[in-house]
Amino acid sequence: MAEIVLMRNFSNPDSHTLAAYRAGGGYAAWDKARQMEPAAITEEVKKANLRGLGGAGFPTGTKWSFIPKNHTGPVYLVVNADEGEPGTFKDRYLLERDPHALIEGMLIAARAVRCTKSFVYIRGEYVEPWRRFSAAVKQAYDAGLLGQGLDIVIHRGAGAYICGEETGLLSSLEGKKGWPKIKPPFPAIKGAFGQPTIVNNVETLCCVPPIVARGAEWFAGLGTKTQGGTRMYSVSGRVKKPAVYEASVSITLRQLIEMAGGVSGTGRLKAVVPGGGSAAILTADEIDVTMDVDGLKNAGTMIGSAGVMVMDESVSIPEALMVLARFYAHESCGQCTPCRESTGWIYKMVHRIVDGHGHKDDLDTILDVAKRGAGTTICAFYDGAVGPYISYIEKFRGEFEALIPHA
Amino acid sequence: MPKLTINGKEVEVPAGTNLIEAARIAGFEVPHYCYHPSLSIAGQCRLCMVDIEKTPRPTIGCNTVATEGMVVNTETDRVRETRKSIMEFHLINHPLDCPVCDQAGECWLQIYYMKHGLYDPRMKDEKVHKPKAVPLGPHVMLDAERCILCSRCVRYCDEITHTGELGIFERGDHSEIGLFPGRELDNKYSANVVDICPVGALTDRDFRFQVRVWYLDTAKSVCPGCARGCNIDVHVNRRRPHHAEGRRVARLKPRFNAEVNTWWLCDAGRYGFGFVDAPDRLAVPAQREGGTSTDATWEQGIAAVAGALRRLPPAQIGVIASPKMANEDLFALRRLLDLRGVTQVAGQVSPRVPGDEDDFLIRADKNPNSLGAELLGFGADARTVIEAAGQRRLKFLWVFGHDLLAGALPERDVLEALRVVDTVVFTGSNVNWTSAHSHWVLPATAWTEREGTYTNFEGRVQRFRTAIEPLGQALPEWDIIGRVMTLLGESLQATRAEHLFRQLVEAVPAFAGLSYQLLGDTGHMLATAEASGRRGAGPSGAAS
Amino acid sequence: MSETPAVRAGLTDPATTKFSEPQLAEVRRLQALYPDKRGALLPVLHMAQETFGYISLEAEEYVASLFDLSPAHVHEVVTFYTLYFRERPGRHVVAVCHNLSCHMAGAPKIIAHLKQKLGIEPGETTEDGRVTFLTVECLCACEAAPMAQVDDRYELNLTAEKMDRLLEGLR
Repeated sequence: MAEIVLMRNFSNPDSHTLAAYRAGGGYAAWDKARQMEPAAITEEVKKANLRGLGGAGFPTGTKWSFIPKNHTGPVYLVVNADEGEPGTFKDRYLLERDPHALIEGMLIAARAVRCTKSFVYIRGEYVEPWRRFSAAVKQAYDAGLLGQGLDIVIHRGAGAYICGEETGLLSSLEGKKGWPKIKPPFPAIKGAFGQPTIVNNVETLCCVPPIVARGAEWFAGLGTKTQGGTRMYSVSGRVKKPAVYEASVSITLRQLIEMAGGVSGTGRLKAVVPGGGSAAILTADEIDVTMDVDGLKNAGTMIGSAGVMVMDESVSIPEALMVLARFYAHESCGQCTPCRESTGWIYKMVHRIVDGHGHKDDLDTILDVAKRGAGTTICAFYDGAVGPYISYIEKFRGEFEALIPHA
Repeated sequence: MPKLTINGKEVEVPAGTNLIEAARIAGFEVPHYCYHPSLSIAGQCRLCMVDIEKTPRPTIGCNTVATEGMVVNTETDRVRETRKSIMEFHLINHPLDCPVCDQAGECWLQIYYMKHGLYDPRMKDEKVHKPKAVPLGPHVMLDAERCILCSRCVRYCDEITHTGELGIFERGDHSEIGLFPGRELDNKYSANVVDICPVGALTDRDFRFQVRVWYLDTAKSVCPGCARGCNIDVHVNRRRPHHAEGRRVARLKPRFNAEVNTWWLCDAGRYGFGFVDAPDRLAVPAQREGGTSTDATWEQGIAAVAGALRRLPPAQIGVIASPKMANEDLFALRRLLDLRGVTQVAGQVSPRVPGDEDDFLIRADKNPNSLGAELLGFGADARTVIEAAGQRRLKFLWVFGHDLLAGALPERDVLEALRVVDTVVFTGSNVNWTSAHSHWVLPATAWTEREGTYTNFEGRVQRFRTAIEPLGQALPEWDIIGRVMTLLGESLQATRAEHLFRQLVEAVPAFAGLSYQLLGDTGHMLATAEASGRRGAGPSGAAS
Repeated sequence: MSETPAVRAGLTDPATTKFSEPQLAEVRRLQALYPDKRGALLPVLHMAQETFGYISLEAEEYVASLFDLSPAHVHEVVTFYTLYFRERPGRHVVAVCHNLSCHMAGAPKIIAHLKQKLGIEPGETTEDGRVTFLTVECLCACEAAPMAQVDDRYELNLTAEKMDRLLEGLR
């Protein structure tokens, strides 16, 4: 049974208060980090093999080191609390149950990248998490933890999944539509308001205090060779105990489903979405994969935000794809042509198929259109849509064909 | 200056050049929609993909700066296939409006589909519907379904006119170009969005349904609407006279000139050609006696003018030229007046209301050749000539172009002048009060019906070329003047405007060294203007 | 997202669509938090919605004037994000998630039940102005599917009966 690191404070009903956090050893890591050189902090995070937990899995320490060394202007730290990937709810728990862990992580990260002003972008629908986090920030200011070298500005979103994409988030932070920015330049060079910016996920930053407090080696040892630590897996769908579960990143999907009580509904597993809605689906005999960044990449899918949605035999895969296709069509920001035009079209086609009005060419058209669009867009939103478009049809083609007259 | 290889060809380009421009310099076209050299980079259309060595996927060219040693290929199989895919994405929801869309024939969806698409369409679902035929302002019509959301028009209103009227609302495939509800696209440069719109989403209301573009001929010219002299193309319809309600000049389009107007044209200039094919054009010489006007021949008209000039003492002859006349016309007039020693000469009639001006292209002086007129001795205000006429010192008055009642000249003085002068001759293109109260009307061609040069306010001499044939029997002013001179025994020695320009260059020091060849398509500064550093008030919209 | 106390109490007349002096001070405070004051646009639009009940075109023009932005660019932002209401919503907003885990947990049945119970389609408001009914994308509470956001609160593990009890409590 892996050590519980991120969820260590959850069982305490007052875990969101400064007093409780301190009583549990909170802000000791920050005291230690204040004695460290910024570069040393970054080194520690690199050695810990911490990889981004919001979706992209990019090595966090490496990202921090992209900030230009000779930059004399401001550097911004922006926390991505725009959790929106279907099947994911871990950041909501962290914001509500352990907001000070995020604040402490921000303090340490800000020191590492020499930032004095940070922003936390919370999705607009997260009202209670916003209230909890705001209260914690106020407590931190009152206690002199904030305002003495780091300021936090809390910025509420207004309802757009694309604002979870790091540069879409930055555009929204700047007061515009959440249109992702064309890259290059990348945020570490030119991000929020034109300045070097680090965008980190909530959970990723919550890993930082433990890393500093207990050492990179310890954290790295909790995971695999290429990814350290534990992470919070959001498990939902047809499982007996849907909840957020913390485990080593080396856990297998099979083990995770067992942790969540096993398959519900018919009790027979059909498929699993391993990494949020945008991850390619895995069949019932593909669940002996390790749930780390590289393990799932090698399995042809991704860990993404670790939103695990379990499907039993009674779930209709075409219906599931229709639900996701509707999601992508609704959330496409519309900025670039391939995504804007084809997310709507593909939804229409899948909808028609589910309704029994599919044409026999539709499946191959969807696959071809998706493959042609992949890699051509401004951001990875479309590649996230392509994950389900292609994997659901390729792995469960028979189920789709059964709905198409004369297929 | 980085050196890079494009399609196997080595080319050197200025630092900071993007790959679309670098490819153009190397002689290759990279298709694109959202990129425009005057606007910020959007990177939205995804059509300008190119292959760069050591890069795993095709990359957009607009946002990639050429660097030393870069190896680029714009025609790999992968790039071609990507272009085809991008074309399909653009056409998924595009309405098949070609038969009723003005853009047909100059539409970049059509052009690029034929060049880079040529796939069989497979979109069988209902397309997204959006507002059609929405007037955005006095000059621009929007069809939101046709829009490919390249955002050029939005960026133009933000970055060039700084008026911010347009936006892209909603999201996904329901995204829509539009105005803030209830507002208008009414800045003074609004119609430029029609030019930069690659498709038929933004079209010209004046040109709407007039004539198909493939029937149009084009000539390079200069807008005569103000002293800026924006470079333009005049598009004329000869082949389908029964279209466009018989209008021969179909539309004006800006022509790029880095030193004058860059890519842009103001609305007033763009739509100032209506008079060319208006019903009130003067097409035939005419004589008015006792209130009635009768058609006459050129022989009769020229003889009348020459007779008066021969008979009368020079002090009794007055001439009001116009800063709308070309350098060649004014020079011919100068020769005629010097031949007879006429000194009662003017060129300027001040407007009643000062013209509007801004810090972009529009000049308060609504004449294309004020500087040329001044340099050729026609800078004086017409007031002096009108006063002389009113004092009964003049027996002959030749007015070029002006409606003397439309300007700042006191009405009473003008009425008196035209009442007492024995012979008033009007030369111009359209009917006005002055022409209706002259004894002789000798019709002149419109600027689109002949060639010549204007000198803009900075001292740039620019050619304008013949776009359409003269209407009726109208003649260029220099030709009319030349015929008068011939009857006075002196040959103009010019059968073309260029001959006069050569004479002008020899005779007037300010124009020294110029020639039609040197002027080319973008004009040339007067030597004196260049030396005196007169240049400076260039358009603020010029890309750096 | 619900009718604000200020509006209900008649303290703010949406027709005048102006912020009070203290509110304007808050706008300036927010603007100063960002390196470019435009960053405060989303927060100020939230303020406008709370104050006026929804964001009218007049409110857009007003907010644009506070930011030196063209109204078109404020309109772009308001029409892009789903939480800004462009028409007055009902006194209460019931937003039912219809994404994947909620779908598997029975969201379609909850939605059908609400359509029948309220007599309106998703996107519409009941005639008495009580409830605006929406279907929305993942609210990230999949462990408690099916669920909805009612005004500011997450209502979890919904059943038709639970939904009915919730509706009864919405005046």
